[in-house]
Amino acid sequence: MKKIIIALAIFLLFAAPWIVSAPFFVHLMIMVLMWTVLGASWNILGGFTGQVSFGHSTFLGAGAYTTMILFLKLGIAPWYGIPIGGLVAALIALPIGFICFRLRGPYFALSTLAVAEIIRLIALNWESFTNGPVGLLITTLPDVTFGGRSIDWENKVPFYYIIAVIALAAIVATYIMSRTRLGAYSLAIREDIDSAEAIGINTVQTRVAALSLSAFFAGVAGGFYAMYFRYIDPDAVFSIALSVEMVFIAVVGGLTTVAGPLIGAIVLVTFGETFRQIFLVGHLIFYGLMMMIAIRYLPEGIWGRLRLWLGAQH
Amino acid sequence: MALLTVKGLTKYFGGLRAVHDLSFEVQPGEILGLIGPNGAGKTTAFNLIAGFIHPTRGQILLDGEGIAGMKPYAVTRKGIARTFQIVKPFKKLTVLENVTLAAFLRFPSRGEAEAEARRVLERMGLGSKISALAVDLTLSEQKRLEIARALATQPKLLLLDEPMGGLNATEIEQASILVRDICKGGVTIIWVEHVLKAIMNSSNRVIVINQGEKIADASPGEIVENPQVIAAYLGTKKR
Amino acid sequence: METFVQSIVSGLLTGSLYAMIGVGLTVIFGVMRIINMAHGEMVMLGMYGAFLSISFLKVDPFLSIVLWIPIAFLIGVFIYRFLLKNIVPAGELNTLLYTAGLSLFIANLVLLIGTGDYRTIKLKYAIMPLRPFGISVPIPLAIAFGMAILITVALYWFLARTDTGRAIRATSQEPEAAALMGVNVDRTTIITFALGTALACAAGVLLAPSLYLYPTVGEILVAKCFVIVVLGGLGSVPGAIAGGLLLGVVESLGAVYVSVPYKDAIGFVIFLLVLLFRPSGLFGVGKS
Repeated sequence: MKKIIIALAIFLLFAAPWIVSAPFFVHLMIMVLMWTVLGASWNILGGFTGQVSFGHSTFLGAGAYTTMILFLKLGIAPWYGIPIGGLVAALIALPIGFICFRLRGPYFALSTLAVAEIIRLIALNWESFTNGPVGLLITTLPDVTFGGRSIDWENKVPFYYIIAVIALAAIVATYIMSRTRLGAYSLAIREDIDSAEAIGINTVQTRVAALSLSAFFAGVAGGFYAMYFRYIDPDAVFSIALSVEMVFIAVVGGLTTVAGPLIGAIVLVTFGETFRQIFLVGHLIFYGLMMMIAIRYLPEGIWGRLRLWLGAQH
Repeated sequence: MALLTVKGLTKYFGGLRAVHDLSFEVQPGEILGLIGPNGAGKTTAFNLIAGFIHPTRGQILLDGEGIAGMKPYAVTRKGIARTFQIVKPFKKLTVLENVTLAAFLRFPSRGEAEAEARRVLERMGLGSKISALAVDLTLSEQKRLEIARALATQPKLLLLDEPMGGLNATEIEQASILVRDICKGGVTIIWVEHVLKAIMNSSNRVIVINQGEKIADASPGEIVENPQVIAAYLGTKKR
Repeated sequence: METFVQSIVSGLLTGSLYAMIGVGLTVIFGVMRIINMAHGEMVMLGMYGAFLSISFLKVDPFLSIVLWIPIAFLIGVFIYRFLLKNIVPAGELNTLLYTAGLSLFIANLVLLIGTGDYRTIKLKYAIMPLRPFGISVPIPLAIAFGMAILITVALYWFLARTDTGRAIRATSQEPEAAALMGVNVDRTTIITFALGTALACAAGVLLAPSLYLYPTVGEILVAKCFVIVVLGGLGSVPGAIAGGLLLGVVESLGAVYVSVPYKDAIGFVIFLLVLLFRPSGLFGVGKS
């Protein structure tokens, strides 16, 4: 039964742009999928190991800038730049992890915030490298053919398929993690870090590994962001707001679950973007409200609660 | 050769002297009891051996290899496992998951780790509870879970921190049998305990600690006759 | 030399207001052990309160503080009693996330009701700065500084001399002992939270004539607030005051002597270092 639903979901994922082809909806679906990747990325660290990071935009920004700079200065096409961006993000996660994991709980959260701000300010000032507040712009994406036809980058559909593949990869990675020792060890750390140490878990190593994997996907999403929006600047990609949104998507969707980030993205991004279309500003009000409701009434997230409810039905 | 050798172990917390010049040996296959009045430094000694705190001075040798200053997970990997005085199970995980996590240390694949966990849980009498959440167990069951988790790391030396605390007479009897069984299975044991009857009946040797210092190291029979020990527990009569 | 003194003075003036915001946050942490991510929004509300006073009520913002402090206190009571009280038992991290949600909610609510336009307050008497000893001192900032001192003195008197104030200090140091001594911890908590909120709001009212107002100003303010509170030692009122003044001076000196952009980064680097190596604050008086 479960396999049928998953197969159906994957079919829908790839068939969607044919079913709903209006540009606004394709854009909406792209945003939902991009935020699924970001939520999944945060979930790998925050959900599984219980380390709440408020600075994940660091990795998104690192991926975005890597992709942009590789393309604009070295002519490396974004579809190579995106995974490289992910790797760069995963690499900078190592020193960040070793520094910040000396702290626990809310102090860890604050330290990640500080690191993110420091990096944003560096990006803002290192103009020779990042162009500073002016930002970086892609005017034309490279010509490329796929299946015999030249890709039309003015159409949103090619972007949809790129992010769909990335989102699928993020979800599969989360699933694999949950089935292996890394996932199990992460849950132990989340539950009781001293007990985890007592049974032979190297908690620093495990957390850094989770952070690196998490950073990889945030970086990949960042690279996609750069390619899709074609413009980035430090305040856009290294912002506290982005970090916070990632947290909200993961928490509201359901921590430690595999599908949680997808559900969280569907709920929050759909409402948010629709709200933004009507009211133009203040769409994050919905995020704030949902977070408060989730912490108070649905600590396991929307998907977490649905799962319990569905489980009870059988 | 002794399995564990502790030499001149000393720990100061700021100006507070918790453990002072503690030295003893533990032979493979024995059950060593560690007793003493409250605040004597017993749990501190455990924390030092298990790596949760680091000594101010002194050596700790496992099979001749120095382990003082190692992190707790490294000490566990070397073969010392411990339980906590106030049990710390992974509350929201099942009994099986709790022990599987520990088994992962020696069995990296999930299938093998789970199988080992089941074996240990059967031995500990928790076979019927493997799907229960740790938080839903009784205290006696949680204590057995704690020990099962420690055993799943295949330790040479097991440190039991007051395993009898909060148990009734029947449960204490069962726990004593369990401790002896574990030792017969090849694990050396050091246990801290306040339930004197249990520890005297099951230990090969007993060490008494008072105010951070060792005041006696002998068989249970000799310990109960030792005037210094009696004085430490009951105080001396004022004339 | 004159520039140096000018920097210090400007830094101390702004720093006094940072200090007030910091005291509010640290007092809440001391008693409740929670990090209130919505604290910046309380400052923002105070700023808008001042703006409304002059724009619609035609009342001088500094006078309006008499109105806004009690209102802010009541808002604090409301937030604790109906929102936070149920969340705090769920743990520090859940409370952190919850207050983050609250922060986003309030900021965006204001954004929706008003607009996102940057606003300023222009006071007729504030065009020319004062020039004591040749140092330029903007009038609104001087008034704000004076009132901040008054409020801080009042706060000290309250904490040191009144029963409620002593109850707050006791609960902050040893909640269990305080409860055993007969302190009504629940009542003390509610008063503390309301007090912290009122302080933040008051600082906002005082700051409004000197800063740009916009609905998301709370975001960067709360970040600076964390720096102050950690530097001064979590839970320590004198620490927060010292931290606030220090941050004001460092920012001011940094703007003059270091290249303008990186100056904000310095604050965060120091923040990280203190968190890592001296978690009890620069003066060693904080709680962890």
